[in-house]
Amino acid sequence: MWTFETMISETAGWLDASGPESDVVLSTRVRLARNLSDETFPCCSSDEEAEHARESVLSAVSKCNYLTNALVLRMEDVDPVTRRVLVERHLISAAFAEDGAGRAVIAGERELVSGMINEEDHLRLQCIRSGLAPIEAWRLVERIDSELERNLHYAFCSDWGYLTACPTNVGTGIRVSVLAHLAGLSRTGRIAQVLKSISKLGLSVRGFYGEGSAAQGGFFQISNQTTLGQSEEDIANTVERVARQLVNLEHEARSELKRTDEHHLEDEVWRARGVLANARMITSTEVMEKASSLRLGVALEIIDAPDLAVLNRLLVVTQPGHLSRTRGKAPSARERDIARADLVRRNLAGLN
Amino acid sequence: MKCERCGSRTATVRYAEVVDGLLTTWHLCEECASERGVTGSLTSLAGPLVNILMGLLEGGGEVESPDAAPTCPRCGLTYEGFRQAGRLGCATCYEAFASQLRPLLRRIHGSAEHAGGAPSAVEGDHFRRREISRLKGELTRAVRAENYERAAQLRDAIRSGECELGSTETGDVDVRDNDK
Repeated sequence: MWTFETMISETAGWLDASGPESDVVLSTRVRLARNLSDETFPCCSSDEEAEHARESVLSAVSKCNYLTNALVLRMEDVDPVTRRVLVERHLISAAFAEDGAGRAVIAGERELVSGMINEEDHLRLQCIRSGLAPIEAWRLVERIDSELERNLHYAFCSDWGYLTACPTNVGTGIRVSVLAHLAGLSRTGRIAQVLKSISKLGLSVRGFYGEGSAAQGGFFQISNQTTLGQSEEDIANTVERVARQLVNLEHEARSELKRTDEHHLEDEVWRARGVLANARMITSTEVMEKASSLRLGVALEIIDAPDLAVLNRLLVVTQPGHLSRTRGKAPSARERDIARADLVRRNLAGLN
Repeated sequence: MKCERCGSRTATVRYAEVVDGLLTTWHLCEECASERGVTGSLTSLAGPLVNILMGLLEGGGEVESPDAAPTCPRCGLTYEGFRQAGRLGCATCYEAFASQLRPLLRRIHGSAEHAGGAPSAVEGDHFRRREISRLKGELTRAVRAENYERAAQLRDAIRSGECELGSTETGDVDVRDNDK
């Protein structure tokens, strides 16, 4: 049985480092924005209208083969700490964690497919896969979308495609984003140049937690900016093509680092390992930074453990919401730093 | 100089950060600067996306139609309300504000024509409509080129396409109104 507790105790599928190019690309996410043609969009709807829209979507979800076992959480039943956990697991947006009528979140097994009901649009459906896999992620989300659409009347017009609350999403309603670890490019100082050329190609760049978040530890999200005028597959292919080039550039930067400054790099990696395996208090920013160094060390075979999957997982489970959840009452920042250091040491046990 | 992040707007903020001991300097526009959390910038309105949208809305004079303060007949949202919030209220808003939205969408996306998938219930119609719109474009060109034989063929093809669509429109195909 797939419950909230099983979900929390397991690692989300997209963090398991099993996908293509996992040494650089953590995950690929494809989301679709959809609205119901006969309902007012969430920003303008009354509470009753929002609830009506939610029940229509949930009824279609319950008839969708892929989502029969999906977890459904109505947001009014979700406490603030759990909301934060959902944000940290990339299941909901930060804006969605705030109060709003008729909101619900859906999460399929291993969190590969999930959805938000009544965020900016009636339905935001997403698929997150490990590694660089835009086309695969698009195919899966498309399959689920066509199943849902048998029981939902989507807002669509021939000229402008799927109609969304914000005109920046209209058309395909698709956003394809790739979460990449560009530690090499960040260290060789070429990152600014590379990100500049990416934005010239019409893609946007954001941090680990999406819109408005800063890029910590060299983690960047690259995604398409426009949604109208190209097919979904063309958009997914463009993001894939650019991400592949980015992977090549990152590989070059990493080899260059190893070639020109190996001692410095080795020192950084081993120190990071030392801190993570021994610290008694640590902030989430420091975990992000040290895990980034360690990830680079594992990818460059400077050290052979821990697994990338363990490091990926740490990035999420050491966030404040996850730490608060396991401790009953809301811990202070200091208590969190202690608990975080404990958790990291347990995850890296056996390294010393 | 252009913003180094979005590459499109003018850079007005110079922002330096030290990442892993390396000093990186960015030239950013207001929007990108506030998205990155750089404070001290002048605009701090409802959010970066709204600002971007407002920039686009105000960017070109062609958006304003002189006589109109259109209102959506279904949800009651006014175009002014959309301008302020950056969000449309329902599917009908797209029809109500069509003439304002078309140039806006072109500026945001570089296109104002959907080229992706459609719900299966309307898929056949969707692709037929797209074909009709293509034929209409060709008809306009044929008429301009005074190629009346081709224009007649196109007119027939459009008519039969519209019949298949079960279109309620009757009468002659209007060649003046299809230059899109």
